Amino acid sequence: MKRQALVPALGLSCALVAAIALCAGPSGWRLPWPVTDVITELRAPRVVLAALVGAALAVAGVAMQSLLQNDLADPFVLGLSGGASAGAVTSLAVAPGMPPGPAAAAGALGAAVLVRWLARGPYDPARLLLAGVAVGSIGASATGLVLVLAPSSRLLRASTYWLFGGLGTPAWSSLIAPAVFLFAAVAWMIARAERLDRLSLGPDVAASLGVEVPALQRTVLLLSVALTAVTVSAAGVVGFVGLIAPHAARRLIGQGHRGLIPVAALGGALVVMLADTVARTAFAPREVPVGLVAAAVGGPFFLLQLQRGLR
Amino acid sequence: MTRVLEAVGLAVGRGKTAVLSGVNLAVEAGERLALVGANGAGKSTLLRALAGLDPVLGGTIRWNGGSLPLGAERVRTLGVLFQTETPSRFSVRELVTLGLGLDGPASPPDRARVDALLERAGLTALAERSCAQLSGGEAQRALLSRALIADPRLLLLDEPTNHLDPARQATLLGWFDRLRGNTAVILATHDLALAATCDRVALLDDGRVSHLGTAVEVLTPENLTRTLGVGVRRLDDPNGGPPLFRVVSA
Repeated sequence: MKRQALVPALGLSCALVAAIALCAGPSGWRLPWPVTDVITELRAPRVVLAALVGAALAVAGVAMQSLLQNDLADPFVLGLSGGASAGAVTSLAVAPGMPPGPAAAAGALGAAVLVRWLARGPYDPARLLLAGVAVGSIGASATGLVLVLAPSSRLLRASTYWLFGGLGTPAWSSLIAPAVFLFAAVAWMIARAERLDRLSLGPDVAASLGVEVPALQRTVLLLSVALTAVTVSAAGVVGFVGLIAPHAARRLIGQGHRGLIPVAALGGALVVMLADTVARTAFAPREVPVGLVAAAVGGPFFLLQLQRGLR
Repeated sequence: MTRVLEAVGLAVGRGKTAVLSGVNLAVEAGERLALVGANGAGKSTLLRALAGLDPVLGGTIRWNGGSLPLGAERVRTLGVLFQTETPSRFSVRELVTLGLGLDGPASPPDRARVDALLERAGLTALAERSCAQLSGGEAQRALLSRALIADPRLLLLDEPTNHLDPARQATLLGWFDRLRGNTAVILATHDLALAATCDRVALLDDGRVSHLGTAVEVLTPENLTRTLGVGVRRLDDPNGGPPLFRVVSA
């Protein structure tokens, strides 16, 4: 496919998947008219949230991989998943009546700040990654401890959606701020696409090619962590998408961020919308966490793509 | 005419410890200067400071009479060829285009300029290939093209012939002469024969620039024996070409 056709094609695919998602419910498939409250107040905002979460995680993943020059980097790599899980589970155990989103986001942000502080001094991706792994492990073990020491099946079940991602039933009004932030972040990054290209070659090369490296690193790190925290506060830890969508996008359109960012964002939106549709309907009336579905469906697909690339 | 680079009373080091101090260097347009010294003498440290990558511990550096600009003006002032650079998955054409320091897609004249340089560097057939799939010599040519695409007034090269066999060294130097035009060059090298092809040589020893002058003045057996700690015999070319050096036991 021509590169120029990729963004419109992905956009159309997203619209198609969104339409399918609107038709799909726990009681089976039904055309979305006449339009009922179920469509407008339950399914539609959830589909929009799925798209926002997928796009935000994909863009954060692109940013993290370029910032750290590491293909294994994902939005949660700096300890964010451990921090988010610990925050969410603690909130559920201590204040079961409260929505755990803010605590999850605070945990993710706290972990990122701690990691950046631990790896302070001259910028060093290896130290950031190591600190991220350590802080993430501590967060994961804290999560496990809370689950083991406060054992109630209700806590365990509620926690699952925050540990592996769940989109719930968002209100339209709660989607406005994340959407505005996502579009602003994407616009900011696309406007600096060529600087991000140079940054992905490493800080020394980027500086020698005219990039004001520390300022760009700071802002990109901040944006990536903030995008991730926003998704965490709405949907818990949706793994896999932020790792795979950037890679799939790189294979489709190459390394240049001007094309990579929109393609990854649309790809991420597509994957999460699709995964959430399956998560809502496959085991109806029970729902499964969307992150598990994304990994279970997306993993084999990605491995197939990888095998084809290796040949 | 302003100097392409002027360093006065420069002190450079890693962290807060000075490796070199009292360095005074000036490079004119089109000139070629070699930095020669033993391992740890501070060649790379000095080169990094001259590239504006590390803050200096003392003294001043002026590029074209001023400080280093950002963006497209930076790459017109200074190009750098690093000793090692992890191969990226950008295509050769994309990599060279990044050397223009643009904030936005390349314009048609810019694209024509990239094509012309790729042609001169013998990379046209490889233009769409990922840099990760290039041979060592091809990658070095692509990186050199990236450093030269903006036509910088000064080029800094760190061990440009490292890890290359003699045939590739000769080829690279050929490319290098063909591509660089009127760009001034400062290169750090262990390769005395390469240093001898430069207009001037700075010998780094004992935390300072111990000798600075033409290759014939500086690269004497006595100087080299003192700074490198080995016996060196110089074989001058009767036809006036650059001399050869032979290391003999101390």
